[in-house]
Amino acid sequence: MNRHDHHHHSNLPHDHGNVHSVLDVAGLGVHYGPTEALHNVSFSVGRGELIGVIGPNGSGKSTLFKAICGLVNHTGVVEVNGVHCHDHTDRMDIAYIPQRNDSDLHFPITVGELVLAGRRRFRRWWSRPTAEDRTVASQSLAKVFLEGAEERALSELSGGQLQRAYLARALAQQASVVLLDEALSGVDQPTTLELFEVFRSLAAEGTSLLVATHDLALARRRFDRCLAINGTLRGDGPPEQVLSVELLETVFGSGARDAVVD
Amino acid sequence: MQWLTEPFQAEFMQRAFLAAIIIGAVAPVVGTWVVLRRMANLGDAMSHGTLAGVGLAYAAGINVLFGAMGAGLLIAVLLVLFSSNRRLGQETVIAVLGTAFFAVGVVVISRLDTGVELTHFLFGRVLTVTWGDIWLNFGLGGSALLVVFALFGELRLATFDHVQAEQVGVRVELVQAVLVVLLAVVVVISLRTVGTVMSVTMLVTPAATSRLFARTLRQMTLWGMCLGVGEAVVGLMLSYHLDSAPGATIGLVAAAVFAIVFAATLPRRMPHHHRPLN
Repeated sequence: MNRHDHHHHSNLPHDHGNVHSVLDVAGLGVHYGPTEALHNVSFSVGRGELIGVIGPNGSGKSTLFKAICGLVNHTGVVEVNGVHCHDHTDRMDIAYIPQRNDSDLHFPITVGELVLAGRRRFRRWWSRPTAEDRTVASQSLAKVFLEGAEERALSELSGGQLQRAYLARALAQQASVVLLDEALSGVDQPTTLELFEVFRSLAAEGTSLLVATHDLALARRRFDRCLAINGTLRGDGPPEQVLSVELLETVFGSGARDAVVD
Repeated sequence: MQWLTEPFQAEFMQRAFLAAIIIGAVAPVVGTWVVLRRMANLGDAMSHGTLAGVGLAYAAGINVLFGAMGAGLLIAVLLVLFSSNRRLGQETVIAVLGTAFFAVGVVVISRLDTGVELTHFLFGRVLTVTWGDIWLNFGLGGSALLVVFALFGELRLATFDHVQAEQVGVRVELVQAVLVVLLAVVVVISLRTVGTVMSVTMLVTPAATSRLFARTLRQMTLWGMCLGVGEAVVGLMLSYHLDSAPGATIGLVAAAVFAIVFAATLPRRMPHHHRPLN
């Protein structure tokens, strides 16, 4: 990913407002009609960070991701690689991986076609993928340990393979920030480990990943930094700090105590 | 052998076959996207609603194909305007528009004293197709195929994952608008052949049939096209021998093929082939 190389990024986890951060969100708010879905969310993401975004269902995790992508109207500021984003066309450095339930898994599309979709930003609408696009797509698949899977139908993939195929698309898109919505729900233990292996290897190469999950036990064990969301940002820091019982109760309600006990 | 060749002898039958082949080839190519985007109800409303344009054009002495096209485009525009209403779902707006336009068509045609029957438009009169109709259908259908070919990649992105599509620069709403126009074009070229009502059959059934077994979009499109052409030709031939309504006979053949393929592909759609989700 050459594009990252001419930036001088710091790997400090909490460089709020730092010019070297990949993603800066400031005062972000979202209204759905009269309902306020998100209020005044601010945080920054450094290059190569792997962050868990935690909160119960309906807490605004997906809304946060969609707002960052520019897919829902929001107040506040989103900056990607230091560039202020006006609408979604400014945000091609962000890749969004939808919840599995949101996509038609039986859609007749091959893994190769899925990954090539990431290359669309480098082409005009009428042009076909070039040899270079195909090379990048193959390399991206190799990086998520799916080499040679181009011709496989998407519907033939397992849950973990599907997430990795989407990650390959994000790599082909040369995204600096990848937002994964509930990538870990309904995924078994070995698959979770396998996915985290891929997350870590991508993060090590400089891609920043934000993974939304409502699985607190998992978040505690696997992430270095967590953002706790419930209508607004309730906590931001290492999991042992964010997942304190007091803070969890403000996020999940009083049932949260049981949820963190393995 | 004579059973097969006899229908092709009269010139009016040759014209009928050409018209049927055009619709059989074009409708499933557009229909592939209608099926994948689950827009079949829009196709249904569009096919009924165009009757308003047909009736008004007929009353005004204009070519009914232009009337149908106009009504189809008007439905598309109104759909976009009304769909922003949050209280009503899109399928409700589609039903209201489709039936309202259909009612206009029925009222206008029933008021005409020219002896023209409603059923001619609803179910087509493929035996009266003129060379002019064929050239017009050929032009419209060919353009529709070219548009789908040119937009194939964009359609795929916008349909599979519209969020990511927008993210990487696909103009999702524009793609959708183009598809609605293509839908209107298919209804127009169905008008004389299978009729407005049966146009949904040609749009949806062959594409749905190939969806059952095709692995890729290209396969689905090409198989849909083959099925559509085959079903149109076989249906027309059967209707010649059975002296049955051509449009409905074509529709029956398409439905029969769907049923056979559905039964034949049943084993591979059995639950154990599905990956457990949650």
